[in-house]
Parts: sequence; C-alpha cells; structure tokens
Amino acid sequence: MPHTAQSAEFSRRSFLKLSATSAATLSMLSLSASLSGCSSDSASTGFSVLRSDDLLCLSALLPVLYSGAVSSEQMNSHLHSALRAIDNNLVNFSPAMHKLTLQLFDVLNNPLTRGPLTGVWGTWAKASTADIQSFLTRWENSRFDLLKKGHNALLQLAMLAHYGQPSAWQHCGYPGPPVLQ
Amino acid sequence: MSIPDPFLQGIHSGWQVHNASLLDNDLQLEADVVIVGSGAGGATSAELLSAAGLRVLIIEEGPLRTSTDFKMHEPEAYSELYQEGMGRMSKDGAITIMQGRAVGGTTLINWTSSFRTPPETLEHWAREHAVSGLDKDTLRPWFERLEQRLGVEPWRVPANANNEVIKRGCEALDLDWAVIPRNVRGCANLGYCGMGCPINAKQSMLVTSIPACLNKGGSLLYLARAERLMIDKDRVQQLQCHALDARGVERSGHKIIIRAKHYILAGGGINTPAILLRSNAPDPHQRCGKRTFLHTTNFSAAQFADPVNPFYGAPQSIYSDHFQWRDGTSGPIGYKLEVPPLHPAFAATILGGYGAVSAQRMAQLPNTHMMIALLRDGFHPASASGTVELRSDGSPVLDYQMTPYTWDGIRRAYHSMAEIQFAAGATRVFPVHADADYVTDLTSAKNLIDGLDLSLYRARLGSAHVMGGCAMSDNAKQGVTNSLGVHHQLENLSIHDGSLFPTSIGANPQLSIYALCALLSNNLLQRFTPN
Repeated sequence: MPHTAQSAEFSRRSFLKLSATSAATLSMLSLSASLSGCSSDSASTGFSVLRSDDLLCLSALLPVLYSGAVSSEQMNSHLHSALRAIDNNLVNFSPAMHKLTLQLFDVLNNPLTRGPLTGVWGTWAKASTADIQSFLTRWENSRFDLLKKGHNALLQLAMLAHYGQPSAWQHCGYPGPPVLQ
Repeated sequence: MSIPDPFLQGIHSGWQVHNASLLDNDLQLEADVVIVGSGAGGATSAELLSAAGLRVLIIEEGPLRTSTDFKMHEPEAYSELYQEGMGRMSKDGAITIMQGRAVGGTTLINWTSSFRTPPETLEHWAREHAVSGLDKDTLRPWFERLEQRLGVEPWRVPANANNEVIKRGCEALDLDWAVIPRNVRGCANLGYCGMGCPINAKQSMLVTSIPACLNKGGSLLYLARAERLMIDKDRVQQLQCHALDARGVERSGHKIIIRAKHYILAGGGINTPAILLRSNAPDPHQRCGKRTFLHTTNFSAAQFADPVNPFYGAPQSIYSDHFQWRDGTSGPIGYKLEVPPLHPAFAATILGGYGAVSAQRMAQLPNTHMMIALLRDGFHPASASGTVELRSDGSPVLDYQMTPYTWDGIRRAYHSMAEIQFAAGATRVFPVHADADYVTDLTSAKNLIDGLDLSLYRARLGSAHVMGGCAMSDNAKQGVTNSLGVHHQLENLSIHDGSLFPTSIGANPQLSIYALCALLSNNLLQRFTPN
C-alpha cells in the first residue's frame, strides 16, 4: 500500500519522539505490563499493526540484526524504514499469521515471559548487544519448537524488511530493478 | 508509460470484472459454472467452458493487479501477490510456502518453468493410485495445445550466470542437464517473473485465459473468498462467499451467494481442500486434505570469482534431472535441480544469519549463485507428507511431517549441489543450514554435509509447489475425485487444480495443471452436451 508523504512524515516525527523518550517510556510500560500482565492491543500512532512495546523491542533487536550491514550513523534512518516495512508486511499477513506474530511480540514484551524465555530480565532498551545475541542463540538452539519458530520468524521479518528497501541495496551490490522504457 | 496494459484495456472495453471489496450490499449471482480460483486450473477451465457457450463466473480471493502495478519491488509483490502476504508457512513455521494469491493465481508470480508431467509420474499414478485415462499418449495433444496457447518453448537466449552454473557443473561431471521450456512471448530477460511481469511477456492466466473467458462473456469477481459449499442430496446447492477488504485480508461484512449448475474448485493445494473441510463435504474415507505435497526444497549457495548477478535474467532456464529417476519411483527419493532468482530480501532470508555473518553473505550477493533441489515427495510410503487442517478462524494450515527417508534425500541433494557448484568453478560453497557456512573445497563440503544435523529450522527449507490434498483416483478409498476430477460423492462438483495430483509431479507443476484441467474441462463439456 502506498503511503502519503504526509503520513510518512507524521510517523517519522512520532518515531523520533518515541526514540527520544524511549528510556522513560520503557520503564513505565514495563511496570504497567507487569502489573496488568498484558500489553496494549492497539497499534502505535502512525503504525497499522505494531504497538509501542513492539517498536521498543524491535528498536533494540534490529540494530543487532543489521550490524555489519548498516553503519551506526545510518542505523536510525534504516531502523525507521525497517519498522515501517515490518508494519506493512504484517498488515498484509493473513489474520492468523498476524495474530501469531503479535503473540510472539507479547512473549518478548511481557516481563513475566521475557525474562525466563529470553534471558533479558530488564527492558529491551537496556539489553546489551551481548544480551541480544545470547537471546537469539538461545532461541535458535532451544529444545522448544515454539522458540525456534519465533527465532525464524523474527529473522525473516527483519531481513525482508531491511533488504526490501533501496537504502539497503548498496551494501549488497544490487543496482535495483531495470528502468523500463 | 508506453507499455500497454491489455487487462485494463479489456475492463474499459466492458469486461464483466467486479471488485467485491466495493460491494455495499449482499449479492446473489447465478452462472452455468462457477469456478473458485483464477490460477492455472481455474482460468484454463474458464477459457474452455466459456468458449463452448457456458456462462462462467470466476471467483478470486486475491486482488486484481495488472502490469501497470508491477514495479519489480519485492515488498509490494510479496505482500500483495502471495498467499497470506508471503506469511504462509507449514504449521510448524519451518517451511515457507510460496503460493500466488491474485487474479491469475500462482501463474502471475511463478518463474515460468513449463514441464510436461514426467511419464514416470503418470505410470506411477495409474499403477498405485487407480488413475485412468491420463497416460502419456492421451495427454500429449493437450500438452501440445497448451504449449502453443501459452508460448511454451525451451529458452533460446543464453542462460544467465546463475543458471549457467548447472550447465557448466553438470558438463564437467558428465551429468544430465537441459534447457527449461518457458511460457513467455517477447520476454525481455529481466528476471522479475516472481513479482508480476511488468511487460506482459509471461503468458500467465492474467494475459491469456482470463481475458479469453471475459471476451466470451464470462465474469470475474475478485476480493471474494469462497467460504463454503451448501450441500444437499449429493449435490452442491450454492456457494457462499465473503467479500474482503481492499487488501484481501479481512471480511468486509458482505456475503455473496452463487447458484450454478456446476461448481469447480480451483484454489490450488491447501485452499481447495480447505473449502471442502469448511463445507463438511462428504468424505467417507477421510481423504480430504491428506497427502499434500510440497516438492520440499533445500538450498546450496556458492560464490564465484566472476559476477553472477543472480537478480537479473530469466530466473530459471537450466535444470538437471540427473538425480530424479535413478532408482525409479520406489527407491530413495529423487530430486530435480534448478536455481531460484536472488533478489536482496529473498536472498537475505534464505542465506540466514544476522549481524556480521548475514552482512558478509549479503555483501557478496553479486557473486553469489544459489541452487535448489526439489524433492519428489509422495511416491514412496516413507516420504514426507502433509495434511491440511483448519485453524479456529476457518483458514487452512498445512501440517507437513518430514521423515528420515526425505531427510536422506536432503542430505544427498546437498552433496550433489556442492559437487556441481565446485565443478562449475565455485570458490566457496555453503549448504544452507544453520550450522554451516561457506567452505572452500569439496572435501570440506562433503565432511560438513555428512555431519549436519538435518532437522527443522536448522536446514533451510522452502516450497513453491503445493500439490495434492484432493487426490484423484477411481478408487473412492484413495481419492476425493475420480480420474475426471469429479467429486466421488457430489456429482455437480469438480476439482480442477494441482490438489488433484496423487503425488508430487517431479517437475514444476504449472503445465501439468494446464493440460490436465483442459482435458478435464473437455470431458465436462461432453457431459453437459451429450447430444
């Protein structure tokens, strides 16, 4: 689905705002999630599917996934376009796959499950690169199919979102589609 | 800008093409024949039946996208043109299943390979699955007719470097290889068949059989999902559909009821059995959705000193069947070797890894070649096989169970691919598996492959060919339909798609579906007009 420049700009602003306040927002969200036991159901402003918790989680995970392919100076702008791309991807998923993916994020976001299952006991924003690498290794090699499935889904979503963007093509030497006369 | 869009021109000329997402009330429709699905089986049937004067209505759950929309960008193509927005997977999430979902079905996004059904497959069906009247000689004129109709010819242009690896490696090792016949006319060798052909060179159903049906007064209703058949007294009485939203994801709230003299299901593997399951169609031998096959595919990447540019050029033009039938249909599982096109997003998900590992693999994309082995599942009792189930919301999911017999084929295929790649001059080969990486010589590759833990999620697996699940067989205990594609228990219901196949095909299935469904439609016409 095409997005208007206006809505893209709006979401960009809201994303930057989110980034700036992420540390404070995270601790509040984490507290409220642990009290309520569940996270918000509604999409974050400017997004169709991803919720603010999901954005915070992905904002911690994606830089680790993209490191080596994206320079640290460019990471923020890549992160923004990747989050939008993941959102666009999810909005076109079947309702069943959409729901499964949100359940995966619930597991990652809810402190009751995040700590025991990922080894990340604090908030995602406070997780170090090593913490995140350790979580990914743990899920990839888990005895539980559900976690291996989750690892697979996370990586596929992230990589599709990143390398679908023209900004990622220089790194992989892809000149882009030919121009038709 | 100057590229013509014949489908949009047809709509302007007055074709009966309707977008169900725009409905503002419920709808009741009538037709002589209603066909669910506009892919290879549905559209081929629609063309023949409408040419004979029948009023044909095609129902398609996906959106209408035409050449004007095809921008050769992966994210849009995957989201809009593939089942579940490219999110379709086996139930365990370990196998990505690429199936089309738009007007034209999978023919819109396939890689154009067009093979006749191998004679070994047809003989196996007759011998093991009580399929009659579908021998090589009976089908030959149908293959010839459809090949002419769809411009199927071996690709005359030199293969791109990605495909050339198979030829070079097989020649060095004295293995069989051949040129792939493709269904194209005026192909510009772009390489974007999987994202919708932007110049209408691919002879998909969007530019051939659907226009032919619409020119004969047929009609098309898209963004409408066939929900269930209403059945009474051994006959289908009506088809209930839900209008979808513009994305084709959620129901819009409006229903469409269709009454027809005859009903044809052509939603393809997974979707066709799902309609029967939702309809509680009679299934006394519990065959519906069973024995669904995938041509389960594993991958081997290789790097070359010279550029491969695997994102450009006809995606598939060379194949090898050297390992396909060596032990007949009863021995160890056989496989076909081909290559996939490698555009960045697809490549990144296949090559796997993250961070520095993924970044290094992707940085080499222009020098990367990929080979795939398509395992011929369903011929041996010990083969992997799948069962279509319904989720709580009524949508289907495939529970596909791998077996040691099939894993053995995966391991042998890793060996074959690495051998061919090194023989073709690869500097490094990577059997695509979570515990593997690039190695620089064949001995290391073979040691690596022999030591791999072949299990779900670790070995990267995919599928682009869903077959079976509503098998044809003259023995009602073995199949959902007879060899004419007519449902064993419902006389006015036919199935015309790849779900009819009692096993996988052993070749990319589109031409098998075209020819079979043309033959079945011809039989159906004889039944409608006995005089």
